[in-house]
Amino acid sequence: MKKKVLAMFLATTMVLSLTACGSSEKTPATEAENAATEATTEAGGETTQASADAVTINFSFDQGVGEPTQKIVDEFNDSQDEVHVNCVILPQDAGAVHDDFVNKLASEDTSVDVMALDVTYVAEFGAADWLLDLGDYFDSTTTDQYLAGTIEGATYDGKLVAFPWFTNASALFYRSDVLDELGVTEVPTTYEEWEALAEKAKGVNGVEYLASFQAAQSESMVCDWVEYLWNHGGEVLNEDGTPNINSEANIKGTQKMVDWVNDYAPEGVTTYTETESEQVFLAGKSLLIRDWSGFWSSANAEGSDVAGKVGVTTLPVGEGGAEGHSCLGGLDLVVNKYIDDAHKDAAIKFIKYLTSYDTEKEMTLIAAQPPVLKAVYEDADILKEIPFYADFYNVIQGGKSRPLSPSYSKLSDAIQRNVHEALTGEVTVEDALNALQAEAESLQ
Amino acid sequence: MAMNKKKGKVSLEKAESRAAWIMMAPAIVVLCVIAVYPILRTFWLSIHEMVLTDPASGYPFVGVKNYIQIFQDKRAIASIIFTLKFTVCTVAFELFIGFGAALIMNNAFKGRGLVRAAILVPWAIPTSVSALMWKFIYNDQYGMFNDILYRLHIIDSYKAWLSTSGGSFMALVVTDVWKTAPFMALLILAGLQMVPDELYESAKIDGANVFQRFFSITLPIVKGTVLVALLFRTLDAFRVFDLVSVMTGGANGTESISLYAYNNLMKFLDFGYGSALAVMIFVVVFIISMIYMHFMGDKLDEM
Repeated sequence: MKKKVLAMFLATTMVLSLTACGSSEKTPATEAENAATEATTEAGGETTQASADAVTINFSFDQGVGEPTQKIVDEFNDSQDEVHVNCVILPQDAGAVHDDFVNKLASEDTSVDVMALDVTYVAEFGAADWLLDLGDYFDSTTTDQYLAGTIEGATYDGKLVAFPWFTNASALFYRSDVLDELGVTEVPTTYEEWEALAEKAKGVNGVEYLASFQAAQSESMVCDWVEYLWNHGGEVLNEDGTPNINSEANIKGTQKMVDWVNDYAPEGVTTYTETESEQVFLAGKSLLIRDWSGFWSSANAEGSDVAGKVGVTTLPVGEGGAEGHSCLGGLDLVVNKYIDDAHKDAAIKFIKYLTSYDTEKEMTLIAAQPPVLKAVYEDADILKEIPFYADFYNVIQGGKSRPLSPSYSKLSDAIQRNVHEALTGEVTVEDALNALQAEAESLQ
Repeated sequence: MAMNKKKGKVSLEKAESRAAWIMMAPAIVVLCVIAVYPILRTFWLSIHEMVLTDPASGYPFVGVKNYIQIFQDKRAIASIIFTLKFTVCTVAFELFIGFGAALIMNNAFKGRGLVRAAILVPWAIPTSVSALMWKFIYNDQYGMFNDILYRLHIIDSYKAWLSTSGGSFMALVVTDVWKTAPFMALLILAGLQMVPDELYESAKIDGANVFQRFFSITLPIVKGTVLVALLFRTLDAFRVFDLVSVMTGGANGTESISLYAYNNLMKFLDFGYGSALAVMIFVVVFIISMIYMHFMGDKLDEM
């Protein structure tokens, strides 16, 4: 414990001294930068005459997608000789990656050109004005080919500050064998229709609970919660970014989540993140689970009690909701605003390559991450390899991004504490949302 | 060399003390870099407003504003209260269980060596690992804790222990006591072994019963050791971080002050306020140490 505290201390001071140095030496750094820029432009001019000396850009992303990305970058480097991409691989920890980018961008560092940023931080970086506006490079005929929710999540204050790379979405997985047993031919689409099955399903093929999901005080609970809101016609933030948390629809949505926690889920659901909720479903104890798309393969893997008995559908709709929306995750590509034009052009060229049909398709096949380009979901090779995507495409089309707030980490923390208190019954739904509204307003 | 020759005997003492300083220099430099600098730096940060994602603010000097904010922040107060409650409960249980275990281990019996080694196992497991392990033990579907209580007919159905604030607090205390009582036991055992057997023998001859022997001989002699053990445990318990972070993530009113400081520093990147919290932890820990030192000082004088 002592070590941990010490390590924290040290890490803090190191991180701090880095940023402090960065910010205090801002002026000389920028001067050096300008000089460097001039140098490269000159060099660039010369090399054009001598023909083809590549512009080198640095691409920073986390270890989680390290191997497949490295492969794709290598192919890009081999395919042409104008741009050379260097990989800067960071640890697989969204928080650590975020801090690394913040340190670099806050000090106007140009050592990294393109970054793969978790979708939840796009608004924060956009609000700090650190990102290149990609709207000039991608028009609407291009962006229309991508999943609407992912483009929306890459837009801050009307500007396309990021470009989706790949995504992730939640879906509702159900036990098809139990529905067959009950003689249900049409898969329910609303919360109430599922609730009606709860009593009947109990005891059928080992089912004890209607649903398993994530309600521990954590980021995964935030995802579950916003889905309950959306599917009851609610929203966390207004169009202009002001919080609108204690609205009628949000109260209804949160109340539904509380009901499901109390009446339709295992007692410990308020301590569950993904792993615990999956254990319940994989042991055959629950009829439903709300989980990320990757769960499909674990549900059907060897050792699962429910392999081959799982179906997938959109999340249920509640009163006031129009369609079942899923929460989106995934990574966006962003470009450092402080790099020079030659590097910007190279970065755009690279992003266009990464998000092209062929690369998205390849990335889907080798990394098993859902693509953002709609057409890939209808590709014959993809459907042959991952037949699940035929159903999943319907789910992900309704995908939405979590609230695009510049202070997302604080907003998420406030949501986690207040909503969790409502879920455990410590406070009423109205009180929790009023308190959350007040906290969210103070973040404005 | 020439200098030494000139000054001769006079500087022998000086030269020796200089040599001592030179030899200590590396250690002092290292200490300054890894201990003094971070503490000073944290203090410096705590009197500035510094939110890393808001470089536009220019990180101005704000004096004691961050410290005042601690006392206006309900969440900070709640976390301090939780941490104090946690510290008092765990240290008290650890003292009783540790003392009891030490008294048992101090007796001669078969397999004593084995027991002494085995009792250290919980202490040897990294906290984050044992926290994960205990989290599973408290699981509402598969947890061993539920299974045992159910078989003993203490509960009539499985409970989700970590879903209520009382349950979470109990779970954290049990886990911490399980992990660190052995440490307490071992330190106290070392103290017990310093008690000479002749004292007990002569007390027995004088007709003192087992309680009189414990309170008049054992307790006064091991008091110093017990205080040292208590000091270590109190400081560790007050700074509890990994156990809470893994087991509850601060849910159900179990956010410790260290966890809250970490959240401010690393999640919200609010280095000013986070550092103020860290400095406050440092000050409280320092005060606790001083209090213990005071009692120990008395003890040392008596001896």
